[in-house]
Amino acid sequence: MTHVLSLLVVIPLAGLIPLWLFRRDARAVKQVAITTTAVELLVSLWMLTQFHIGEAGFQLTDQAPWLPSLGISYFLGVDGISVLLVPMTTLLTFIAVLYSSGGAIKMRVAEYMTTFLLLEVGMVGVFMALDLFLFYVFFELMLIPMYLIIGIWGGPRRIYSTLKFVLFTLAGSLLMLVGIVAVYLASADPSGARTLSLPDLIEARGRFSGDFQFWVFLAFALAFAIKLPMVPFHTWLPDAHVEAPTAGSIVLAGVLLKAGGYGFLRFALPLFPIGVQAWLPVLILLSVIAILYGAIVSAVQKDLKKLVAYSSVAHMGFVTLGIFVLNLQGGVGAVLQMLNHGFVTGALFLFVGIQYEKTHRRMIADLGGLANMWPLFTSFFGIFMLASLGLPGLNGFIGEFLVILGTFRFPGVPVNGFVWGPLAAIGVILAAVYLLWMFQRVMYGPVREAYRALPDLSPLEVACAVPLLVLTVLLGVLPQPFIAIIEPSVDQVVRLATDPSFHLLASR
Amino acid sequence: MNPSDIAAVYPEIIVTVVAMIVLVAGATLGERRQGAILAIITVAGLLVAFASVFGAVAPGQYFRGFVTIDAFTTFFRAIFILLAVFAALVSPAYLARRRVPAGEYYAIICFSTVGAMTIALSSDLITLFVGLETMTIPIYVLAGIQRTDRYANEAALKYFLLGAFSSALLLYGFVWLYGVTHATDFATIAGVLATQGIANGPTIVALALVTVGLGFKAAVVPFHQWTPDAYDGAPTPATAFMSVGPKAAAFAAILRLLVGALGPLGVDWSAVLAILAALTMTGGNIVALAQTNTKRMLAYSSIAHTGYILAAVAAAKAGPSASAAVLFYLFAYGLMNLGAFACLLYLDLDGTRGATLDELNGFGRREPVGALAFAIFLISLTGIPPTVGFVAKFIVIQPVLDAGLAWLAVVIALNAVLAAFYYLRVVVHMYMYEPEGAVPRIISARGLSASLGLASLAVIALGILPNSLYEWALRAAAPLIH
Repeated sequence: MTHVLSLLVVIPLAGLIPLWLFRRDARAVKQVAITTTAVELLVSLWMLTQFHIGEAGFQLTDQAPWLPSLGISYFLGVDGISVLLVPMTTLLTFIAVLYSSGGAIKMRVAEYMTTFLLLEVGMVGVFMALDLFLFYVFFELMLIPMYLIIGIWGGPRRIYSTLKFVLFTLAGSLLMLVGIVAVYLASADPSGARTLSLPDLIEARGRFSGDFQFWVFLAFALAFAIKLPMVPFHTWLPDAHVEAPTAGSIVLAGVLLKAGGYGFLRFALPLFPIGVQAWLPVLILLSVIAILYGAIVSAVQKDLKKLVAYSSVAHMGFVTLGIFVLNLQGGVGAVLQMLNHGFVTGALFLFVGIQYEKTHRRMIADLGGLANMWPLFTSFFGIFMLASLGLPGLNGFIGEFLVILGTFRFPGVPVNGFVWGPLAAIGVILAAVYLLWMFQRVMYGPVREAYRALPDLSPLEVACAVPLLVLTVLLGVLPQPFIAIIEPSVDQVVRLATDPSFHLLASR
Repeated sequence: MNPSDIAAVYPEIIVTVVAMIVLVAGATLGERRQGAILAIITVAGLLVAFASVFGAVAPGQYFRGFVTIDAFTTFFRAIFILLAVFAALVSPAYLARRRVPAGEYYAIICFSTVGAMTIALSSDLITLFVGLETMTIPIYVLAGIQRTDRYANEAALKYFLLGAFSSALLLYGFVWLYGVTHATDFATIAGVLATQGIANGPTIVALALVTVGLGFKAAVVPFHQWTPDAYDGAPTPATAFMSVGPKAAAFAAILRLLVGALGPLGVDWSAVLAILAALTMTGGNIVALAQTNTKRMLAYSSIAHTGYILAAVAAAKAGPSASAAVLFYLFAYGLMNLGAFACLLYLDLDGTRGATLDELNGFGRREPVGALAFAIFLISLTGIPPTVGFVAKFIVIQPVLDAGLAWLAVVIALNAVLAAFYYLRVVVHMYMYEPEGAVPRIISARGLSASLGLASLAVIALGILPNSLYEWALRAAAPLIH
């Protein structure tokens, strides 16, 4: 038993101590925050090297009794689905903190960095928790810091946006809490012992009746669908993104949304196979609607940041579609799509933020001709834009391709994958339309006088973008090692979700 | 009366003695110096009483069956004394500023606490009623202790009239109960009711009167109308104490009576309690949404919390976990609600008024410790981890579902969302708005900051490590089930 996962939870908390000691000195605060998130990133990469590729079960587990009178334990572990999401989280947090230290945040720096470190605890915890109670704690722990980040350091309509974000999320998650308690009560074995540990619950899921699964899956699905967000629960997202500071947007899009998709794969599918089947037609339909609706709404956006936000809705549609076609290709594609979206959309929000810092304009109509002045900016932004629309050779293509492949193999009733697949593929084409059109209007055309003197990317901004660029290309040309990590665990989840009598393989 | 009878009530005796010492000291010491000294005497005396709670008396019946000492008694004695200590710690600055007679103030809190403790140790209708009145009458005085403030007068009068009315109803219920069972001790009553069941008129009348009477005391909708005015008009530190001490005492009485003595009827009666719980939480929350005055908002929100606690009472058939949930929630609620009200003491406001939301603008920057503590209490009241308020909600939902009241669990969840709106709106004003126009002066009192800081740390610590508190609550709930 190692404690590397617990270390990942503890490091950001430990960073709060020096942060508090130096709280009067903004420079020192920034250095402490950067160091803490950098150490966290390195430890998460070291954790990745400790992971045994090719095994489906949970690894590096760390368990201790927490509320023994209720059968609740502190239980961390990773498998192929989560082991890549953790370093993605630590990398995006590091980049968000690094970018924020450059001057984007001018007031209450110590409080800002404190909320980011607390947020990081919640985010890494969500992807490692294997006890439902612990998962819920981390899931909610992400809420208050993000609420403060949007509400204090956000744009003009920040109060409305942040309350909307919190209330939407809470409405879903509190119903999930009722679902968690219901699962806890239903887990009682003949001796009366109850549990919330995921592996034990999967063993016990034979005791969950069909009716029970129908309702409890709904409670879980609402929480995750709001977080992700799926259409029609997405209305908080554009508001939150538009008002959030750049670093907040990076983390919100890059990590927080993934908690929803991850929740489906980790908890909802393996625990409630009968419930999933009952809701499958609705879920597939909503996923395809999200892909098409997100793309069409993106195309008509006047605000650059809102366009990227709506494109997230479409991309998350691919994630849920991949999850709910319930086969290996779809599932692997969904996990890859989550990673890709984290890197690419995180980068797009970063560049929209950089652009806004320089021009103080976000309306597409006010921009134009930026390519002539900013060659470096244009190259980076262009590559991430192409990755977002799914150009082969870059990472976006692999995820969407696998999802569409999986969709064609979907045997569903009343209509099967040969209907859904082409519809999803139209979404890819639409993505090319709105992204290329946006790029053309923003970057090309006549140079505006007002922007002529503005500088290209600073070294700090390049440093923020390079890691994301490397991963975007690497995942695009060499996806196999990543797929090898993801595949066994997704395979197991798919078996659990499609066969209610399937049992979990022994975990390390 | 034998010597062990006296030993059984040492904690009550000590608190009474403390009250009398404070009263005398308050009359003899000069007005200028007495504030701090009286607070120290009160806190020290209460801590001695707290230690004596865990004394050596064997569990069992004393005073010929009028008094029972068990784990339940111990738990509630500890809660009541801790709440009194907390209330005494946050009060001195306010009392000095408002020229409230400190001796009377601390003595009243101690006397009320003795009453509450008497409820916890009662095993007889008579002891219970004496305890209830000993607890409530000092609170009427406390509400009106600022004699020149007309809102305080209104609060005291309303509270007194409705309190007396509800006591009469309760007493009338006790009479019917005696008529049905020919006994006043809980064990015999439970035995007789177990054989008779609910199926006769007089039992239903008794049960209805007792429920309504206790509903008034605990501020259950629709018997809550006195609460907002009483809480709003009373001096703020008194409100902080009133909103937790008497409420916890009312639930101690509810548990002793409805789950203990009337337990055999519980299954038949739980549907009524469940509906009352749903009405209470929803009603309290909806009205709280419309408030712009934080003190009044917290008053309504405390009604909503009554609903959550009552939901666990309604789930009594889930076994000891239901009563344990009541105890755990009361402990958590006492800590966070008293803390939240006490945070209003930082603001120097006229009379008994609480801050409006706009007056809290920029509070986060002007008083960082107080604002952070306030935010933590509010987040805990909302029920967001890692706070004790979240664990309390989890522990309440569990028996509610176990008792088959899934609809009530969903109502609890949706209510928590409503509550999040108005609680987090306060955080918005503290941290996300800048002060404009006239904002109240901030009173920085070290004692206040220290006790609120400590309490907010406890809210988080118990949220992260709730196990020992929950196990204690489970042990305390065990004696209720015969």
